[in-house]
Amino acid sequence: MKRRTFLKGTAAASAAAALAPWARRASAAEEAELYAAAKGEGQVTWYTAHFDTQTAESIGNAFATRYPGIRANVVRTTAQVAFQRLSQDLKTGIAECDVFSSTDLGHYVRLKPMDVFLKYTAPNAAQLLPQFKDIDPDGGYFITSAGLICITYNKDKVKESEAPKNWPDLLDPKWKDQISVGHPGFSGYVGTWVVEMRNLYGWDYFEKLRANEPQVGRSINDTVTMLNSGERSVAAGPEATTLESAARGNPLGVIYPGDGALLMVSPSAVMKNSRRLNAARLFMNFLMSRDASEILVRNFSPAVVPGVGPAPGAKPLAEVKTIRPTAEEITEGIPEVIKRWRDTFGA
Amino acid sequence: MTDLLPLRAPARADAALLPLLRRFEPAMLLWLALIALLLFLVVTPLFILVRQSFEAPEGAGYTLANYVTAFADRLHLRALGNSLLLGAGVALLAAIFAVPMAWAVARTDMPGKNLTRLLVLGAFVTPPYLGAIGWILLAGPNAGWLNKLWMAVTGAKAGIVNIFTFPGLILAIAAYSYPYIFVFTSAALELVSSEMEDAAHILGAGGWRTTLKVTLPLVWPAILGGLIITFLEAIALFGTPAIIGLPAHINVVTTQLWQFFEFPVQAEVAAAYAMPLLAVTALLFWVQRKSLGRKGYVSLTGKGGERRLIQLGAWRWALLGYTLIVGGISVLLPFAVLLQAAFSRAWGRGMSLANLTLRNFEYVLFVHNTAGQSIVHSFVYAAATASLAILLALAIAYIVSRRLVPMARALAFLCVAPFVIPGIVLAIGFYSAYAAPPVALYGTAALIILAFTTRFLPIAYTSCEAAMRSLNPEMEDAARIVGGGRFIALSRIVMPLLRKSIIAAWILVFIPATRELSAAIFLTAPNTQVMSVVLFDLSSEGNFEYLAALGGVLLVATVILVAVSFRLVGRDFMLRRS
Repeated sequence: MKRRTFLKGTAAASAAAALAPWARRASAAEEAELYAAAKGEGQVTWYTAHFDTQTAESIGNAFATRYPGIRANVVRTTAQVAFQRLSQDLKTGIAECDVFSSTDLGHYVRLKPMDVFLKYTAPNAAQLLPQFKDIDPDGGYFITSAGLICITYNKDKVKESEAPKNWPDLLDPKWKDQISVGHPGFSGYVGTWVVEMRNLYGWDYFEKLRANEPQVGRSINDTVTMLNSGERSVAAGPEATTLESAARGNPLGVIYPGDGALLMVSPSAVMKNSRRLNAARLFMNFLMSRDASEILVRNFSPAVVPGVGPAPGAKPLAEVKTIRPTAEEITEGIPEVIKRWRDTFGA
Repeated sequence: MTDLLPLRAPARADAALLPLLRRFEPAMLLWLALIALLLFLVVTPLFILVRQSFEAPEGAGYTLANYVTAFADRLHLRALGNSLLLGAGVALLAAIFAVPMAWAVARTDMPGKNLTRLLVLGAFVTPPYLGAIGWILLAGPNAGWLNKLWMAVTGAKAGIVNIFTFPGLILAIAAYSYPYIFVFTSAALELVSSEMEDAAHILGAGGWRTTLKVTLPLVWPAILGGLIITFLEAIALFGTPAIIGLPAHINVVTTQLWQFFEFPVQAEVAAAYAMPLLAVTALLFWVQRKSLGRKGYVSLTGKGGERRLIQLGAWRWALLGYTLIVGGISVLLPFAVLLQAAFSRAWGRGMSLANLTLRNFEYVLFVHNTAGQSIVHSFVYAAATASLAILLALAIAYIVSRRLVPMARALAFLCVAPFVIPGIVLAIGFYSAYAAPPVALYGTAALIILAFTTRFLPIAYTSCEAAMRSLNPEMEDAARIVGGGRFIALSRIVMPLLRKSIIAAWILVFIPATRELSAAIFLTAPNTQVMSVVLFDLSSEGNFEYLAALGGVLLVATVILVAVSFRLVGRDFMLRRS
């Protein structure tokens, strides 16, 4: 109930913001034009690894509601499956995917030189939050989703005052056998976190972490399960899923580390070979809209445009100290750290 | 036959064609069609896989570099070793679980047989990774229920069981794959007539000696088939090794393969790395042939035979106890834990009245966009898969056992080869072969059904082959001597005699097809979503309460479905002797 009232509140606030005088006429005209042209195409297919299935479906439904006559086919899979499918499609000349949303920055870095993305700057790209702007200087892909990795803990087992405050606190021997982490070989989120920790504290960080015998799961969300079961009490975990589980009443808490929560950004791109280019452009624009960001926030993820959120229980993104490796560090660093991780942790 | 010959055919050709045509049977055309189907289902995707293993990454020519990358790494080799050890361990433990149960149910007067069958069915329909999650909650070193109980009872500081170990991994897999051996073995045991045991008794052998020296050896082909299937399933499984193996620092082939698909994607290396699995399948197949050799296992002859249950006396309670322990390990304990989560608002809060809710069930059945529909899809696709696979397998097993065409052995190998191709690799082969035009199956149910048929053809084939082996060809020969064609022999003799085995084989494909994950992940589209993928998504999204609720729905739905369908065909679950 509380959540619903809250949502009504945010909806009202954002409606007010939408009426702000700087609502751009030009972009509204472009949107109307795209919509008119897209109606004839009737649908858009979205290969996405962003969000969980439910959130992705909600965005698809919201798009169809906002633009009657255009259906969104949401193909939600994990990032590597989405990428494999797209690669197979490109190889065999299937133009099924119109908009591609992976959580793995590396996919875009690898696909871009193959000239498969349409260079298209949607009107809404101008309103992205500053930290999300211009991920690709050439305008081939844009950030449409973000997430934070924080220190998470089980409140029944650890008092907030005693919980780790900074990333190196996890190395304290008092957390031996109590830590849960994901695996960089299975999760782009974890891979990016490992790259950033190595940047900040050197590989030594993981040698010491190994001594604390962390429980290594697969996906970053496995930490939520491990904390809830009481099997582990602290974790390097995802803000969104942890808050969602806590909202249901689970004894979970999130600490925004003093040395920085890791900010993950995930782009989307319009495919050049799309047979429904207008619908694809319109959808891309929609992903960066206030409407889409409201759905994100409702599902505990940070918004990518201003004036929305924060998610229930979350700290406003502007107040969080965030850290993040460069795109180059990520794409070059992840394969390296996976190798070193396997040497250090044995699997 | 001869009147089909063109009358004006030159005499010479006539002389050459005649003997051929005299032996020609219309059935041959059907066999040819089957072979074509096998080419479509197995050979093409396999060929793509093999070719890919030699391809340079950007499609520039051919190379051996993928094999070097795949096998020069010490950790990759260790993963391969781990997989083989895991497969052997699982097959052995599964046999220890299943054979005594199968014997008890089929041959003895043990009480509680229906309960036993229900427990086996429960274990069979449980997706292995769901069971594995249950076992993490039971035997996690810090908070596992069993460990907490132990500490509470004995006052000990630490628990006694840890699922995050190699034996733990073996247990968590064997607990959900032993039903293969159970079904194979119990079906075969029911066919062995008591006369053979009586003969042993007359010659002075005691009850146990007879069982060990006569009864069990007679069903060795069935046990061996089950061992091979469990071995192969264990080394091709992804979910359980990922959630139990990785935290225990155990890497296996499938978890390694998955990493090849993470960025930077090395699909070609993955193809090369999957090749030893194919070699292992070939080897097992060869071992099976050598082991069965020329010995006779025919227990189904045209002659009558009486089957009596063995009176066990007090021992029957011991056997029932054993059955309950196995059932507890695989079904009762893990589902107790999962159900607690399924009915909880917040499962991390433990059990209390305030925490009870039905909301999770409501959510997965009615609110979630795809979950409810995916249940229906899973059952429909699995039924189609099972029917297709059994038809194909039966026909090929018949061809092979009666040696109707040359190279029959190669056909048999093609039928079993797909099992060890890890689901995701098989699915990619399928996707690249058939999603695009000219076949253009993208986003259709047909794509999933065909891929599943390929994936489970080995199970279908192994069980049909074992059934065929138990059938004495004399009976068909008799039909043919009195003038019946092969179709008559098949439809009037073979099919009725094997009906029970065929139904068993159908279930054996149907159930794993409802829980198949790794191939489905790659092939499903928004309107062809299946339950296993939804479960996996919920699990990787950390939505544990929903995951548990959907798992519960799956279990109940499958049990009801199987129960109803067997009532309809006039039988009890799992082939109880009528």
